[in-house]
Parts: sequence; structure tokens; C-alpha cells
Amino acid sequence: MSHDEMNCRRLILEYLADYEDGSMPAVERAALEEHLSHCPPCVVFLHSYRATGRTLRMLKPRDIPRNLAEAVVHFVKARCKEKP
Amino acid sequence: MADDPNASDLELVRRIKQGDDEAFREMVERYHSRVYSLSYGVLRNAEDAEEATQDTFLTLYRKIGTFDESKKFFSWFYRVALNSAYSRGRRRKPGITVSLDEYAPRLGSDGTETSPQYQAWVSGMEDEVIARDLAERAEGFIAELPDAYRDVIWMVDVEEMKPADVAETLEISLPALKSRLHRARLYVRQRLAEAASSAPALSERRAAP
Repeated sequence: MSHDEMNCRRLILEYLADYEDGSMPAVERAALEEHLSHCPPCVVFLHSYRATGRTLRMLKPRDIPRNLAEAVVHFVKARCKEKP
Repeated sequence: MADDPNASDLELVRRIKQGDDEAFREMVERYHSRVYSLSYGVLRNAEDAEEATQDTFLTLYRKIGTFDESKKFFSWFYRVALNSAYSRGRRRKPGITVSLDEYAPRLGSDGTETSPQYQAWVSGMEDEVIARDLAERAEGFIAELPDAYRDVIWMVDVEEMKPADVAETLEISLPALKSRLHRARLYVRQRLAEAASSAPALSERRAAP
């Protein structure tokens, strides 16, 4: 991809996920960063995309029910006795 | 062997197949949090997620003989977990899902995005209270997604699983997974921006000098 082929639409719709997970080839990455360097709206878009990721990472359930592992083992044993 | 999670899983699998109850306990210890979290992503209810977790391990115990040891254990087991959660979810009233196209970025003729207020939202995210409030809403936004998109964004962005592992679990190609992930992110981003624009704390912050 040449520099001229990178534009806001392609950056947003096609390349952002690869850019963010690091899988984008170096040449394309350089073209994308060159575009960002002179496109404030795309910089805002990138920041909001990252803010979405930060928000989602806050969602992971951290309150695993107490004694869940024990309850699972008890449940499986009980059910397997019912229906061997 | 401990450096290779799959080899370590397989060792437990073989012992469980031989009827080793201690190995089953170890498997429960190893995976119950992740199975619960995955189930919660589908069901969004602690009680249902707990029951789906129990169902998942019951299936593991009963069906372990059908597991092909040439495959990765976790991808087989996560599919079992997803199926258990879906099975439990189907008993409930179906929720509302949306058309992703309606929430695609609104790009102007020059290709830039014309939707306002993203900068205010991104700045607002630096505030812990606002960020926490938006995160709670994001859970609902994810639930609005069609299943195929919801599972992907939950597993990659919430559970922080590797995209390649999620693609293997869902039996889809990596490009297909990335496409779904990106569209799901764009949807949630749009919904978060809308929520942020109406959040009192953020509005106050924006109005402050």
C-alpha cells in the first residue's frame, strides 16, 4: 500500500484493528502513522477506539462466587451418582 | 511441561479419562473462573452464569471421552462452555439485538467522521467515576449485539483472550474474527459516545471552565 492509498475511511473501516493489535506490516503501519500525523479527526477517532477498549477491559467479572469450585465438584458428583 | 498450558491440560484430561477424581478437581480449580466469566458474558446474570458453569463441568466429566487429544483442550472446552451458556440462555426471553450498520461511523464526503463529542468522552474517561459508569453501560451495549459479534468482543476485549485462540474456539478464520471484532467495537464505541454525551457527570465536566 502506498502512502496515497491511506485515507480516513480506510483507516477507520479497514486498518485500525490490525494497527492496534500490532499485526500490520511495517510499511502499512508507517503510512497509517504518516496519515495520523496530519489528520486530527483520525487521531480523535483512534483515541475513542482505544477508550472503548479500556472501558471493555473494566467489565471482566472479578467477583467470582465464593466456593464456586467446590460447588461445581459437588454438583457433578451428585449428578453422576443420579445418572451414571 | 508446566510451560505449555495445553500439555498440562492434556495430562489432566488423560487422568480424568482414567477416572482420577483429583485430576477433575484440579481441572475445576484451573478453569472455573474463566468458564464463569465466559458464561457471564453470554448470560449477564450471576446465578445463571454459576449454573452454566456447573453444566459445563458436568458435560466435561461426561463427554471427556469424545475429546480428540490432537486438538487444543481449551478451544474444545470453551465451546462446551459457550454451548452450555447458550442452552441456558435460550430458556429466557430473547433480548433485543440491533443492526450494526445503523451504528457504523458516520463518515463525511471527505472520509472523516462527522459525529461530535468524542473528544469530550475520551477526556471524561480519565475520571474514574465516569469510566466506571460507562463500563456498566457498556455491558448492556454488548448484550445488544448479535451473538456472533457479542462472543467475539467479550472474549477478546473483556476476557483478553488472544484473537487466534478465540478464532480457533469459534471455528472461524482469523480475518473473519477481526472483522467481527472491529464492527462490534465500532458499535460499542458509538453507543458509549452517545451515553457519555448524556451522562450528568460528564456534562458537568464539559460545562466547567
